[in-house]
Amino acid sequence: MSHSGNALRLPVKNDLGFFEIRMESIGGLGANVAGKILTEAAIIGMGMNGAGFASYGSEKKGTPVKAFVRICEADHKVRVNSPVEEPHVLAIFHEALAKSVPVTAGAVPGKTTVILNTRKDPGQARDFLKLQGGKIGTVDAMEIAMATGSRVNMVMMGAVMKAAGFFEWKAVEGAVNEQFGKKYAALMKGNLEALKRGYDEVEFREFPVDGRYPATPFRREEPRLGYETAPIGGTIYSVGNMRFKDLSTSRTGMIPLFVEDKCVRCGECDITCPDYCFVWERGKDPGTGKDGMVLRGIDYQYCKGCLRCTWICKFGALLPAKEAEQDMEKITVKHRFLK
Amino acid sequence: MVQTATNASGRPVQTMVVQSGNEIAATAAKQINYHIMGYYPITPSTEVAETLDAMKAEGEHTIRMVPGDGEHGAAGICFGASTAGGRVFNATSANGLLFAFEQLPVQSGERFPMVFDIVTRAVSGPLDIRGDHSDIMLAMNTGWIILMASDAQAVYDMNVMAPKIGEDMAVRLPVMVAYDGFFTSHQKRRVEIFADGGTVRNFLGPFVPTVTSVDPRVPVTIGPYMNDPDQINNKKQQADAIVRSHGVIRKVFAEYEALSGRRYDLLDLYRMEDAEAALFILNSAAETAKEAVDALRREGRKVGLIRPNVIRPFPIDEVREALSKVKGLVVADRQDNFGAYGGAMAVEVKAALQGVPGNATRVAARVYGTGGKEFFVEDAAEMLREAVTIAKTGAVAVPYAYFGANAGDPGFTPPKAYEPISEAEASGLTRVEVTPEGKMEVKGSVLRNLTERPKRIAPGHGACPGCGIFVNLNTFMKGIEGHVVVLFHTGCAMVVTTGYPYTAHKVTYIHNLFQNGAATLSGVVEMFEERKKRGEIPKEEKLTFVMVTGDGGHDIGMGPSIGAAMRNHGMIIVEYDNQGYQNTGSQLSFTVPLGQSTSTSNYGPFQHGKSTHHKDTAQIFTACHIPYVATAAECNPRDMIRKAAKAQKYAEEGLAFVKLISMCPLAWKTEERSSVPIIQAAVDSCFFPLYEVERGITTINYDPEEKGKKVPVTEWLKQMGKTKHMLKPDCKPELERFQAEVDRRWRRLKEMHKNPLL
Repeated sequence: MSHSGNALRLPVKNDLGFFEIRMESIGGLGANVAGKILTEAAIIGMGMNGAGFASYGSEKKGTPVKAFVRICEADHKVRVNSPVEEPHVLAIFHEALAKSVPVTAGAVPGKTTVILNTRKDPGQARDFLKLQGGKIGTVDAMEIAMATGSRVNMVMMGAVMKAAGFFEWKAVEGAVNEQFGKKYAALMKGNLEALKRGYDEVEFREFPVDGRYPATPFRREEPRLGYETAPIGGTIYSVGNMRFKDLSTSRTGMIPLFVEDKCVRCGECDITCPDYCFVWERGKDPGTGKDGMVLRGIDYQYCKGCLRCTWICKFGALLPAKEAEQDMEKITVKHRFLK
Repeated sequence: MVQTATNASGRPVQTMVVQSGNEIAATAAKQINYHIMGYYPITPSTEVAETLDAMKAEGEHTIRMVPGDGEHGAAGICFGASTAGGRVFNATSANGLLFAFEQLPVQSGERFPMVFDIVTRAVSGPLDIRGDHSDIMLAMNTGWIILMASDAQAVYDMNVMAPKIGEDMAVRLPVMVAYDGFFTSHQKRRVEIFADGGTVRNFLGPFVPTVTSVDPRVPVTIGPYMNDPDQINNKKQQADAIVRSHGVIRKVFAEYEALSGRRYDLLDLYRMEDAEAALFILNSAAETAKEAVDALRREGRKVGLIRPNVIRPFPIDEVREALSKVKGLVVADRQDNFGAYGGAMAVEVKAALQGVPGNATRVAARVYGTGGKEFFVEDAAEMLREAVTIAKTGAVAVPYAYFGANAGDPGFTPPKAYEPISEAEASGLTRVEVTPEGKMEVKGSVLRNLTERPKRIAPGHGACPGCGIFVNLNTFMKGIEGHVVVLFHTGCAMVVTTGYPYTAHKVTYIHNLFQNGAATLSGVVEMFEERKKRGEIPKEEKLTFVMVTGDGGHDIGMGPSIGAAMRNHGMIIVEYDNQGYQNTGSQLSFTVPLGQSTSTSNYGPFQHGKSTHHKDTAQIFTACHIPYVATAAECNPRDMIRKAAKAQKYAEEGLAFVKLISMCPLAWKTEERSSVPIIQAAVDSCFFPLYEVERGITTINYDPEEKGKKVPVTEWLKQMGKTKHMLKPDCKPELERFQAEVDRRWRRLKEMHKNPLL
């Protein structure tokens, strides 16, 4: 054990004796690793006790995930295994998640500090997340990650440390080193810089509960289909209903842009797109005037931003672009599903 | 004996680590340094083998890691290894345990100790990867000792103790250590471990075999044919041994306490001294429930909790003793013994109480948390209140019930997403013409026109960005006319297209576990034909049956696929080969080439990736002499579409097999957008040649040599993060062997192309 030896006391804890952190993210941004590092820092580096875990399933890269950290004092036993519902720190790694996931559920003004990875300031973030009130922090983790050659999780971890208040710098540094030091020694400098900048640059503001937005209590969701109503055996009759899902949160900044007048209607994009985003319809070919299949555009509800299509298109009709610089509502062309 | 350092209390030095249940299980196995681990990846147990493999690449242990062709094969490897006189380890979950099931009574009945970690998970179907106890409870009566590890510390401790219990000369039985999938397996916790693995090895002592299959000086017959009247005596010996293990377990627990300072009893009794009402509950949920016991105690309720550390042998006397003052008991099971009016523990506890004269303990059975449904302190409190009511009233109002099931919203009907695809809209785009020479020619593979073919899979599926599977399936389906029924093996394509209550499939879709997809679809095909014959389905109805598997499904499911090929059913098998078990986190599959790194064939100073050559599935099917075998790749989509159309035509006379190479950006460690050049290099290096075998006659459809495009395999390998190490000087021998093997197979294929008899 390498900790200082003095039994650390937590500034605040819940009824079960824990300081709790929840990180809302998408697979691939490293929230799980961040949780692991913070847990290790507290236990190994600071002599506390705790647990780090995540919302596991068969989730793939780009799909929503949650990571949880529970910290308690050294002599306290960790027994509870259920997920963190009302955290002391709630870190949202990906702004777009707010569209499809109730990321702010369980944020309690006066208890929870909410941190958002965004270019917005805390006031804008509050309006964007529709938070009832409380302490809100913002940090442009994406920008810092790019500048330091690190990742979003390092920056967000720095911001979480600041919000939590009790993490010791050396302990976290030690845990980061333990995680990456051996295999990715070259990245250590950037990682630590990102961590430091997250800590230094997160901007907090306190908002009163002023009635602008309602409370966002945590709800343990129950499915709408249950044992009285679900078809037996798990059979699904509503075929193809995954089309109701919005996958735009899988994107991490880039989209393909369709330049209609460059399109020669070769059909290659419809081959290479794994997410079936291209809207082809029968119509008049703008070039020849003949009847045939015509590419109308891209249904961005399903686009995960892989940019395969921009690689395959040799005619300059599909170009990579920054999503933030586009009016997505305006440029999206919806599939027509039901006649 | 090796001397290990001790601390002030005279005990060996321990150190603190932060590890998940799976990692700590691997740490214990590393310290034991088992001779052999036979395994097959399945969520959530996979990390145990992965962690051990990564440790091995760094030289931290010398366990021989043997990947099975499935869990049945892995269990066979373990059985064989244990007969040969060493320590053996395995880890699995859910259907992995069920697939290995047949081997369990063999291992125990023939009395070969080994340790099997069961990372508990819900069994299919429907497929659910999260944690419950429906797997381990099915193994209750297979003759194995079963230890229950409720948290990461217990996972370590029990893994260290397990070999000592099973190997005791009074026992000689295999041992399972069960811990909760995800809740324990994936949660990072503070764990104390012995600083020196030598402490663990000293504690266990050397493995002492009673018999070995590899000593020609002492020849033996292992596993004879044994009927009545002998077999009952063998079973009596076995039953006596597991009964005797009760005392051995207590002895080993005591020895371990002396060594580690950590105490285990057969039952963990929490605040039971004066409890009148109690909850009987297993593993991680019991730890959560202790918080509820404390809460009710604060209200002045005399409640307690019983959590067994051992369920086989069942600690009958201890349970009776623990319940002697309890009037109301709720037994909560994370599974159901369907039709038995309670889960496994409820049935066992009731049976134990039956032997108590004047028993005053009333029991309610509750089934909770199945399929990984979260269990909260409030849930435990509700169960404890129920126990209090039973104690107070002396009556059990509801003896058996599900806790936490949800009736559903009666006003809710899932909205319609699509009209069924009509035969007309899916037809008329491609056609196969047979030339006077009997050759098949495909017309209509213009990509633009084929955008009109309705996709059989809807957008909205949850695959990773840039996933090659959905490129391949879509391209292939562009060549298939009319109505389609698909069967998907377990794997990425299955998981990301069907997360209840959602499905991405617009056509009828069936899932079966991947040891059995081809057999399942065989049954579908035959029933369809038989019902047509009986006039129950119109004779003119045409369906094309397509089975979709990964390369992983063609390791564990190779047998049934060959069976289907031998029976020559009218169906198509499509294999997307993304070179590994990507759904469970990119472990090696047999199609992974020599030297490549995966999470179970790591690259490091002591191991240079996978140690064997890649499996040639297309040639395996060619050897089955089915009407059609083909390979195709997305870098040549027209060729793939043409082959799909041919496969559909050939499926009229029998089985067609098509293998598609499929990029996995995550596992291959590549850019999401750069699939085509990488696949092109796999083709141009002749690692993945494009060819077809029609009624036994091989045709290469694209010859990179002829076109002057053949490249060394390094041109492919250098483009992927998972293979970059192969260009390093220390991997030169592997690289040369791989290149030589690719060249040999390519030359052989060219000879087959030239000669219709080959």
